Amino acid sequence: MTGTEHGDRARFLAPARELLSGGIHPNPVHAPPPAPLPSDPVPEAVYVNLDPGDLVTSFADAVAHAEGVCHVVGGDVPDRLLDRVVDELGERGDTPVVVSAEPEARAVGERLAARGLRVAPATPATAAAAGLGVTSAVAAIAATGSVVLDSRRAGGRVASLLPSVHLCVVPVSRLYATPADVLRRLGSGADALPPSLVVVTGPSRTGDIEQLLTLGAHGPTALHVVLMTDGQDASPTSGSAAV
Amino acid sequence: MSGQHQLAGTTLRSRMADAVADDRLRTNVARAVDRFATHRREGLAELEDPDGLRSAARALKQQVLADLPGLLERFADQVLARGGHVCWAPTADDARSYVVDVVRRHGATRVAKSKSMATEEIDLNTALEAAGAQVVETDLGEWIIQLADETPSHIIAPALHRDRHQIHDLFVDTVGAEPALGTEPTELVGFARGRLREVFLAAEVGITGANIAVAETGSIVLVTNEGNGRLVTALPPVHVVVLGMERLAADWAQAELLLALLARSATGQRLSSYTNIVTGTRGDGEVDGATELHVVILDNGRSQLLAGEYHEMLACIRCGACLNVCPVYRQVGGHAYGWVYPGPMGSVLTPLLAHDQPEAAELAGASTLCGACMDACPVQIPLQDLLLSLRRRKAEGAGAAERAAWGAWAAAWSDARRYGATTRLATWGRMVAPLAGRLPVGRSWGAGRTVPRPAARRFRDRWREGM
Repeated sequence: MTGTEHGDRARFLAPARELLSGGIHPNPVHAPPPAPLPSDPVPEAVYVNLDPGDLVTSFADAVAHAEGVCHVVGGDVPDRLLDRVVDELGERGDTPVVVSAEPEARAVGERLAARGLRVAPATPATAAAAGLGVTSAVAAIAATGSVVLDSRRAGGRVASLLPSVHLCVVPVSRLYATPADVLRRLGSGADALPPSLVVVTGPSRTGDIEQLLTLGAHGPTALHVVLMTDGQDASPTSGSAAV
Repeated sequence: MSGQHQLAGTTLRSRMADAVADDRLRTNVARAVDRFATHRREGLAELEDPDGLRSAARALKQQVLADLPGLLERFADQVLARGGHVCWAPTADDARSYVVDVVRRHGATRVAKSKSMATEEIDLNTALEAAGAQVVETDLGEWIIQLADETPSHIIAPALHRDRHQIHDLFVDTVGAEPALGTEPTELVGFARGRLREVFLAAEVGITGANIAVAETGSIVLVTNEGNGRLVTALPPVHVVVLGMERLAADWAQAELLLALLARSATGQRLSSYTNIVTGTRGDGEVDGATELHVVILDNGRSQLLAGEYHEMLACIRCGACLNVCPVYRQVGGHAYGWVYPGPMGSVLTPLLAHDQPEAAELAGASTLCGACMDACPVQIPLQDLLLSLRRRKAEGAGAAERAAWGAWAAAWSDARRYGATTRLATWGRMVAPLAGRLPVGRSWGAGRTVPRPAARRFRDRWREGM
């Protein structure tokens, strides 16, 4: 359904059109470089912390740099990680775990349910009461330690937002080197963008009190990323937050 | 431009003097800006050739501003195609009445806001409250200053002038926190999290600004660390965006470069915790997300800057880096400037947007012209050139007496004989120099200065006589 337009578009744009028609006359002292031609590509940042030959290690380091915890595992999410979840949340009477609609997250949910935890699909009501939210990601970014969450695929946003811990499981096939590798494709994809695409880099935080890093402002206090590779386990790389 | 604050009965000079005399304020501000500046340096050092990227960002912003009308049309068409509503708001009043109308139409009484300088600029909260809505700021720093009935003192850290003890006492005094609540940041943040969680869950309308609007897909990019930008767009059924018309990127390549520089310039992070890209309304099969999206495109004086001497000010991405390196801001904080936008970017933007208010023009004097701001700016806005040029503009509008005085000075020194006469006259200054600060003229200038005593005989006389 198409939205509606309010106010007068032509009249709003008229002053800008008129001023720009005479060309731009910037401040002459430090005049800007000539504007790039439309054919000139926008340069991409080169990240000193990125090892293009070992994206997995770069990713794990970057997740830790952003105060998250990265678990690099061979194959599926390991049992000992799920056991830790049960130890932390098993005593709670309410529904402690919510999962997004993604198959990777549902699979983790089923394994937790088999261990006796109550697991529910994420809605604003269930997620607000849960201690753990499980999602997958459509991409992971090695240079920044980010995971990219797609609301269309996940069936919403709250699983990664309201519980105090967010567990994100992502296969290594979705690991990209840089933000440019992910973001610069958004305009050209065959699929339109989802209603919400969010690049998550570490847990929620604030520096609003004396510019001191404090985790868990409004979103999760802890972020655990499980990167599923075809190789050997190597986890956790760092971080101390408990699942 | 509205957004003028706490000017009543004060002058820029009196506000600056009050700030400089407040040791606690200066300690808080200096601690904060030093941390920001250090983190920024470390963050940029992780990119190869950051200056090359800044230069590219400047060039791409030039391109955006040159194409702005076309990009705005493309952006609006994409928003409309995705089911969003678009309001073209030439003035602050147009923007306010549209948003108030949306809130009224939904019968909403609870509004949650995520931090937005554009809504501060148009003083939206006052209009919403007058319409009977309760408005809660959800960025922790914004909430703190809302409770204290203050305005932001920094564009990305609104409450940086307050320390933990002041924040603790504020929570106790205004929102019923137990006095036993600790003063550790984790305890204060935990208290705020609990209170604001209720606000998110109950709000009927969510209001945000926009860091970037991407024309090719009609997307709004919201960058937050706390997650309030996600919550405000995930839980309330109505989402209203107030977008400054200059915040466009043509495509995702441009947006990506700006994002690579934004977080590093602001806090030194590689990316902020949440870079939230909102495109249209809640989709089929989604359990959350606003079902109604309104994008208010705000001019409010911006278009008048296009194409002219000051047009690069429209490239600003509101990272706050110029505040953190400014020797004036460091000493006085943001409130002394007296307007919504402080620091170097504010000292340029405010006189331009509030050109009808003479008090705004004096802000151009609130700088040392040292150029640290341009060196820090991720899009290389030549802030010191613009400040200088604003000072010139103000001088051209100066009173007859001031212009006559400078005219006489120029006439005297453009002639060698008359120049010589003035230097001879200066030797008489020996008698009055020690009195500077006590004479009726120039008292405030002389106070705190040691005025050098001119020599008894001029150098040129001694030279002529063989020293």
